[in-house]
Amino acid sequence: MKRKYLIILLVIILISCKKEKGCTDPTAINYNSQAEENNGSCKYNLEINFTHTVNNSPLELNQMIYTNAAGEDYSVQTLKYLISNITLKGPSINDSIIYNVHFVNIIDSSTFIINIPNLPNKTYTGISFTMGLDSLNNQTELFINESFFPSFAWPDFLGGGYHYMQLEGDFITPFQGYATHTGPTNGNNYSFLVETNFEENILENNRIIINMEINNWYAPNIINFTINGIMDDELTQNQLRNNGNNVFSISLE
Amino acid sequence: MIMTKNTCLLLIMITLFGCRKEDDYECNPTPFNPTPYTIATPPGFPDMIIPEDNPMTVEGIMLGEKLFNDNILSGDETVSCASCHIKTAGFSDTNQFSIGINGLAGDRNASTIINAGWNNQFNWDGSARNLEEQAFEPIRNPIEMNNTWENVEMKLNTHAEYPTLFKNAFNIDYIDSIHIVKAIAQFERTLISVNSRYDQYLRGEIQLTPSELNGFAIFNSEKGDCFHCHGTQMFTDNLFHNNGLDTEPFNDWGLGNITNNPLDNAKFKSPTLRNIEFSKPYMHDGRFNSLEEVVEHYNSGGNFSSTVDPLMKKLGVGLQLTNEEKQDLIAFLKTLSDPDFLDK
Repeated sequence: MKRKYLIILLVIILISCKKEKGCTDPTAINYNSQAEENNGSCKYNLEINFTHTVNNSPLELNQMIYTNAAGEDYSVQTLKYLISNITLKGPSINDSIIYNVHFVNIIDSSTFIINIPNLPNKTYTGISFTMGLDSLNNQTELFINESFFPSFAWPDFLGGGYHYMQLEGDFITPFQGYATHTGPTNGNNYSFLVETNFEENILENNRIIINMEINNWYAPNIINFTINGIMDDELTQNQLRNNGNNVFSISLE
Repeated sequence: MIMTKNTCLLLIMITLFGCRKEDDYECNPTPFNPTPYTIATPPGFPDMIIPEDNPMTVEGIMLGEKLFNDNILSGDETVSCASCHIKTAGFSDTNQFSIGINGLAGDRNASTIINAGWNNQFNWDGSARNLEEQAFEPIRNPIEMNNTWENVEMKLNTHAEYPTLFKNAFNIDYIDSIHIVKAIAQFERTLISVNSRYDQYLRGEIQLTPSELNGFAIFNSEKGDCFHCHGTQMFTDNLFHNNGLDTEPFNDWGLGNITNNPLDNAKFKSPTLRNIEFSKPYMHDGRFNSLEEVVEHYNSGGNFSSTVDPLMKKLGVGLQLTNEEKQDLIAFLKTLSDPDFLDK
């Protein structure tokens, strides 16, 4: 009998001495302070911030203090745009879209932040997104209940779907407006991919910063504000798309 | 029959327990069970904005329609909501400035409430955020209905019909302002116009004339550029713009009065263009009496000011439409008329 009790006691001791497994990374959202062994369950939140600059300085709205490459002074009153297919990349993961469509409105700071919750513990070394909506996504009926409907709708007559961007203000005088509206002119796809790779794991940082340098929309292909009404202008839409390659920069913080 | 003390106590207990809250159904011979009313979302429209605390019911809508048309809401019982939101005028007002009680005139033309259930800001200046909130204001406005909510509540609570109607719609025993505006808002959400010739054309039921089709194209082109403020099947962007009506100083600050932001001065809500043929006069101050005058305003370029919208891209120059193009544009605008809606 004594031997039997001894064995049971031993088993109990062994079980109670088994190391608790869980997430041992204090920076993870599911950090388990009791865990002694990391079981790979750590999850992370990722924040993406949108910032806007002109000549590397933070954008100031409604000030006629900027000059485009054509030499025209201008202000910015309105800046709204769509970012879609935000995707994380890494050496051991399949590209995964972490956010489908995001609408940024310069007068609503709540649209400057996206929170991506519960990212699994993997090595993410790249991020990409589409400026605007690609042909697959640019269907009017897909976003009819979003906050950017109806003001962002792009008429069927001009190709249908949605604007990619509405950048508006005055130029030369406070009484003269410009409207840089990009979108699927005549059904063409002028959205474009923005992609950046890093040497470090994105999760080792607090946030991703996506900055739009507004003046770069107007160069190196010179866009003149006196050319107005560009939603049916394939040449200008194409130039804006090409200029767009220098508009966005992505950094970690 | 003479009951013993114990029998009497027992009966009292049974009665008391029998009327516990959870058994209310058995004690109430007419349980509150209003008839739900579902709004089918028309093609090209988003889901209607319906507050969770004011679901649509048949009883609520019928009550709202009665209130909307009843002079009892005004101080001297001479005007109703329908006095300024006239059905045959696209639920707008044929007077340049809407006339309240005692013949007092305001300084704006009454906004249309067609398809208002899809709006998220109300009145020309955006002073209300939903239909319920919107309905609060005219009743106590001295140049509209010039009443007090206390007086309205008193009259409705002592009315021969309203207490029963409110009981049926909301299961309330005392009529208050909150339920009055809820009923009116429910009715207003049913004012849906989506059967114009334009809609019939989109559904493939009819063909538009060459003139109307050309107007449709101008409307949606950069040349006409009507679509930015009046786009989609809703024919509004639900936003505010200064469309170059006036130079400074402005007589009416519009949105600027609400936001206290000078950059919003002289900005007004884009109205829907549905039934625009019948909702003259036009603009927030009813300054234009015909669609011809409206189109000519845009065609001649409008006025410069510091808050004029950048979308008025051809300010001072104008759209430069030919007479034929202007006529075509107006012909298209008239395809947005929905006689069935206006006659219902």
